[in-house]
Amino acid sequence: MSDQRIAATPADAATTPDATTGSGGQTSGGQTSGGQTSAQRTAARGGSGRGPLLEVTDLVKHFDIRGGLLGISKLGAVRAVDGVSFSVNEGETLGLVGESGCGKTTLGKVILRLLPPTGGRVNFEGKSLFDLGSREMKAARRDIQVVFQDPYASLNPRMSVGEIVGEGLYVHGMTNRKEREAAVRDLLKRVGLNQQHIHRYPHEFSGGQRQRIGIARALALRPKFIVCDEPVSALDVSIQSQVLNLLSDLQDEFQLTYLFIAHNLAVVKHLSTRVGVMYLGKLVELSDADELYRSPAHPYTKALLSAIPVPDPTVRRERIVLKGDLPSPANPPSGCRFHTRCPMAQEICKTEEPPLRDVGGGHMSACHFAEEVTPLEERRPAALPA
Amino acid sequence: MTERHTGPLLEIKGIKTHFFTQDGTVKAVDDVTFAIGHGQTLGVVGESGCGKSITSLSVMRLIERPGRIVAGEVLLNGENLLDKSDGEMRDIRGDQVSMIFQEPMTSLNPVFTCGDQIAEAVQQHTAVSRREAWDRSVEMLRIVGIPDAKRRASEHPHQLSGGMRQRVMIAMALSTDPDLLIADEPTTALDVTIQAQILEVMRDLREKNRMAIMLITHDLGVVAEMADEVVVMYAGKVVERADVRTVFGSPHHPYTQGLLLSIPRLDERRERLQVIKGTVPSPLNLPTGCLFKRRCPHRMRVCDVAPPYQELGPNHFSRCWLTPAGEAPSVGPDAEGPEAEQAAEALTVEAR
Repeated sequence: MSDQRIAATPADAATTPDATTGSGGQTSGGQTSGGQTSAQRTAARGGSGRGPLLEVTDLVKHFDIRGGLLGISKLGAVRAVDGVSFSVNEGETLGLVGESGCGKTTLGKVILRLLPPTGGRVNFEGKSLFDLGSREMKAARRDIQVVFQDPYASLNPRMSVGEIVGEGLYVHGMTNRKEREAAVRDLLKRVGLNQQHIHRYPHEFSGGQRQRIGIARALALRPKFIVCDEPVSALDVSIQSQVLNLLSDLQDEFQLTYLFIAHNLAVVKHLSTRVGVMYLGKLVELSDADELYRSPAHPYTKALLSAIPVPDPTVRRERIVLKGDLPSPANPPSGCRFHTRCPMAQEICKTEEPPLRDVGGGHMSACHFAEEVTPLEERRPAALPA
Repeated sequence: MTERHTGPLLEIKGIKTHFFTQDGTVKAVDDVTFAIGHGQTLGVVGESGCGKSITSLSVMRLIERPGRIVAGEVLLNGENLLDKSDGEMRDIRGDQVSMIFQEPMTSLNPVFTCGDQIAEAVQQHTAVSRREAWDRSVEMLRIVGIPDAKRRASEHPHQLSGGMRQRVMIAMALSTDPDLLIADEPTTALDVTIQAQILEVMRDLREKNRMAIMLITHDLGVVAEMADEVVVMYAGKVVERADVRTVFGSPHHPYTQGLLLSIPRLDERRERLQVIKGTVPSPLNLPTGCLFKRRCPHRMRVCDVAPPYQELGPNHFSRCWLTPAGEAPSVGPDAEGPEAEQAAEALTVEAR
């Protein structure tokens, strides 16, 4: 069964009723993506009008701070992810940005069930991932894969490329060595690596090539959904663009859906259909990628956008310099978490937490004064005569 | 000193820093020449391994074995730093030239308070009492925008956030009023909103103290915002040098062009990013002739011969065979051997 599936084209694979639909069985209307022909899926890149593949509801992840004499009394909790809801539509890329400590990586790990959740729900194709038993989860993992940030730390130095990329295939039932090697060679070709390098080890590759190995590994089981956690931030600019292009080519080729987590807003905007902005464990804004840049509806997003240096010396973008540092997620501010640094903060912001609400056309913002956030000003002072 | 520039603060002339490893000689910095005027900011751009950090360490004479500066001059106010004794060099470091590094955590001593570390630098270079040095360090912390500077001065580095640590580094570097600040990726480890704060501090201080900055970074946005002049390095060599508007507005070298086109931009939609194919060559196995030729979209036969360092316009230099208009050189795209070498020599200018 699994061998068949690996050999099958992605479109076929998607319609093959197989192990992914475990005993959890019948999906509760979530699987609306019927008639998954390749053409339709490709046409739908952009995502709208398609059912959600992944639904995250009120996801919470707290890390307990323990101490005391035996180190077991609970002193508090770091609220890394504190009630986040969003959905990812089939075929789209949802970007997730935020500064270090905002909880974006933790969120990705909880979705992958690499960390146990504190609360909330994650539905994949209508099924709750947190309710799956270990065998069902194993099956689900074929559809949900991950590419990590650090291409040096995320590949086992004692395994050859063939073993790294083929391990998932083996675990999921492709036990024939020859067959596996052929599959791995095919994967290497697709991610732009030399097939002759199948027996080499990670240290023999450059950073960009290693990241391609990581991508080949994620692709091996023909997943539907890939969490990309800062996949290009460790790479040089010229290599970064190669990997970004590869990711978007593969998305077209295999009809992939991405959750793309990064701190670089320009990179996220480039690849994403929609972008979510996180601050201190909360989603503060979620909107279409271009719209987010054109008319941000949260003062934090605006400040974040304004802080990015423009690679053009003739452009002067309005600069909002935020005061102070990020507050501790163990002891977040009351009301709106951003009020301590917000240039627009009012009394209400200290006491009342703003809900994430639609401010028009599906543009979501968690700000009491979302309507008053103005677009960023950009000036191009007349170029001086040479 | 040339007459056109009225005495640049720092002149680096033909500097070569090589590392003699078991596997062979790595020419980390190979014949690099540029200058920085008083109060000017020079951006040094390039990808990892291009030699930008080694260039700055060479200026500070901080190259350790197996590396050695094998040729060239580093003139600070006209005096060659490479001729100084170690003792003289120690006085210059921190006094006339200061440096901030990328990693604020590893560059600060974890067992001393931030105030002590700044005060130590102050006492090294000025004859002041402990008390005065401490007051100076609190004042510096205040200048770089650390709230509650008095209390923070008695805290240890681990008690501060990354952005604050970088401010402490800057406070320390600036406590002695240097003429030149060498900043090696000063904001790379920081979040963008913190980066914006730090860049603002650096801009402020540059204006107040007329300090020159050598800003080493791979972030073209930071360079566009901060620099007056830009040097683009590739595999140990300067491939292009010009004022910031020229580098971003009409770059000549295919590598510079490729870099600018390959970054995703916030203000425009690029369906596909242009890429520079391939990777940086291994420093132990550099190609002959042009170091960039294997990745270059304009590759010609003549590129097997080291390209000329041409002056394309006022203070605009590029190490490439293409003419200023971007066409094949007059010697012909297929020229080779002595003919091409002579042509390269004729086109090469002595950069100031």
